[in-house]
Amino acid sequence: MGRRGVLLLSLLSCGIVSCSPGNGEGLDISGRPLNEGGNVPLAATLASVQANVFNPSCIVCHAGANAPQGLRLDAANSFTNLVGVPAQQDSSVLRVAPGNPDQSYLIQKLEGTASEGQQMPLGGPPVSQSTIDFVRQWITDGALPDPGGPADMPPTVTSLAPDPDSIIGDLPTEITAGFDQDIDASTINDMTFTLVQSGGDGRFSEGNEQAIVPASVTLSGANPRLAIMDLSGVSTIPDVYRVTLHGSGANVILGINGVALDGEFAVGFPSGDGTEGGDFVVEFEVRGLQPSLASIQNNVFTPTCSVVGCHSGPQGPNLPSGLDLSSSNASFSSLINSVSVQEPAILRVAVGDADNSYLIQKLEGTAAQGSRMPQGGPFLDQETIDVIRLWIDAGAPQ
Amino acid sequence: MTAGVVATKRLTAFVALSLAIMCQPSLAEPYLAVQKGLKCSMCHTSPSGGGKRTAYGNVYHQAELSERTLNMGDLWTGELSRYLAVGGDVRGGWNQIDVPGQRKSSETDLEEFLAYVEIRPLPRYLTIYVDAKLRPEDPVVRSQYVRLSIADNRWSIKGGEFFLPFGLRLQDDDAFIRQVTGINFNTPDTGWELGFEQEKWSAQLAISRGTAGGPEVDSGKQYSLRVSHVTPTWRAGGSLNFNDTKFGDRQMQNVFAGLRTGRVAWLAEFDFIIDDGTPTGRRKLWASLVEANIALKRGHNLKLTVEYFDPDTDVSEDGQNRLSLVWEYFPIQFVQTRLGYRRYDGIPQNPAQNREQMFLELHLPF
Repeated sequence: MGRRGVLLLSLLSCGIVSCSPGNGEGLDISGRPLNEGGNVPLAATLASVQANVFNPSCIVCHAGANAPQGLRLDAANSFTNLVGVPAQQDSSVLRVAPGNPDQSYLIQKLEGTASEGQQMPLGGPPVSQSTIDFVRQWITDGALPDPGGPADMPPTVTSLAPDPDSIIGDLPTEITAGFDQDIDASTINDMTFTLVQSGGDGRFSEGNEQAIVPASVTLSGANPRLAIMDLSGVSTIPDVYRVTLHGSGANVILGINGVALDGEFAVGFPSGDGTEGGDFVVEFEVRGLQPSLASIQNNVFTPTCSVVGCHSGPQGPNLPSGLDLSSSNASFSSLINSVSVQEPAILRVAVGDADNSYLIQKLEGTAAQGSRMPQGGPFLDQETIDVIRLWIDAGAPQ
Repeated sequence: MTAGVVATKRLTAFVALSLAIMCQPSLAEPYLAVQKGLKCSMCHTSPSGGGKRTAYGNVYHQAELSERTLNMGDLWTGELSRYLAVGGDVRGGWNQIDVPGQRKSSETDLEEFLAYVEIRPLPRYLTIYVDAKLRPEDPVVRSQYVRLSIADNRWSIKGGEFFLPFGLRLQDDDAFIRQVTGINFNTPDTGWELGFEQEKWSAQLAISRGTAGGPEVDSGKQYSLRVSHVTPTWRAGGSLNFNDTKFGDRQMQNVFAGLRTGRVAWLAEFDFIIDDGTPTGRRKLWASLVEANIALKRGHNLKLTVEYFDPDTDVSEDGQNRLSLVWEYFPIQFVQTRLGYRRYDGIPQNPAQNREQMFLELHLPF
């Protein structure tokens, strides 16, 4: 390559250098024209988080069809992609867990405490803690959406509690379904949001299924994207249960734009095949408390002991007695044949010997040190503790 | 054994390996390929570059790239047998970011420890490849695929999770052309790739989920085509990418080139993106890069990079620049240090777009 090549590349370099940076006239902090909404003061609302965090710091990557991890954080998609959606890098954590910023992956990634990957924004300066605190407050307040939704897109299901295909101890007192846009409240009722019990055989084609009659089925007054089935008064019967959110048939769930639910559910949230219609059908199993670590974890440790600020892990100076009960693996490691910090002469779980296990002593209030657990109560009933005893006496298998 | 004999043996091994591998199709420093006038596949298992190095890539690092070569007896090629090859990358360093109006932040970190394994149940035909980031808790697989090659590696097809073929595969994922296109080392995708390698031509067509590492969410696919022509002194190519999603389609196209003029290896890429998945509808974006790599002397490279990014061609005064000056030093084989300075220039109301960055990296590729 001779002079012509050198000249060409010199011209290209000069061309790029001459593309001077913008002076920002008429633009907001995100580089968008002020008439698109302009600068929004920092506040604990999605609109403010969008304008002050997502737009200026995130969407250079997290937008469009090629957004990493499928996480789009532009205004049209941020709520749908975040709230109630499991993180791709760590599916045990929701990207945004309403009411719980510490357990929200978004906060962990912004603060650099996530178990996976690097602190966000990748390669850029971290978002200031004072700004993150507004994001925290928005999540603490329930991570509510801004009013309104897409004009002509069918609503999709973005979350369900309990999780699809999960195995739980007791029938929950309510089942909640989240949507990606505001829902027409008049279409949320016991004909469009249903729960059926299999009849004991785990199948739903035998004719012996039992429809569960809930206390109520309503759209949340505080969150127009959250439907709630109230199961107060419904007794727990171990069985497989099927939840259906109807997007086809005579009675369907409609977005406030009048478009029917796009409900087909295959693997992960959100639901849908991209077109209006289709039922959202998932199942979960109620087994009741069993003398197994998985059951005790799901029914006792996770809801009672591993709450934020208590034995919720990970290991660190703020974890009480270094006892991590946040998952089956963590509980097993922390408990089995592990010496009690308060009473070094006693094992937390002495395999095959419930009476001499510090865990039982702490739950029954007979330990020589410290207060009875759960601290401050309410305490576990003896029937529940007896199941834990059975598990220990049986060898405390993992 | 005298130094002269050792040197002669090394040179012989180098030439022999070069000849042995020359007909086969292959980290992510495209300027090295331009300096040598070789295709990416000469030094990397992946035909579009990055990841595990080939035997030639490893020998090149020992015999030519580093300022000095410690005498270890044999040369490391990564080839444990004809059925198994391994490699790795360790990166760490210090990074300081200075944002106007804010306190400087800095961190020292072991960024990554990457391990590569290439299993060849049928050497020259069938390859199983895994690229994983190792961490104390649990490893993360970045890329894993099976590749079948035929006709002396002229044609290949691979299926699994891999980095998509598109433009220059730079090591710097924060470069505008890699960040804005969303195709970089953070975003492997799952699908199939058809590859073609000929003496001067290289092409890959990938059909993948289009979710940049996420699970399948719709029936739409991402199509990515990269074609390049390579000569000893220059190369040129182009890429097309179309991602069909229910969230809005994205179409990307680029041209890229490399040129060697004496001690300087030039790289350039220009990307134009049409994105329908934005809150304001269709948006058109530009990202570009021109880089000069000056071989000061053996083991020393000075890299000057100028980049431009226009986030929306319909909005004026929103452009951003990025200027980098990096000194790369390869003191001995498999050791690279990088001392760099970067300056960002963007709109004044966003301090992050006007930051400065200093960094020192230690990179151990093998």
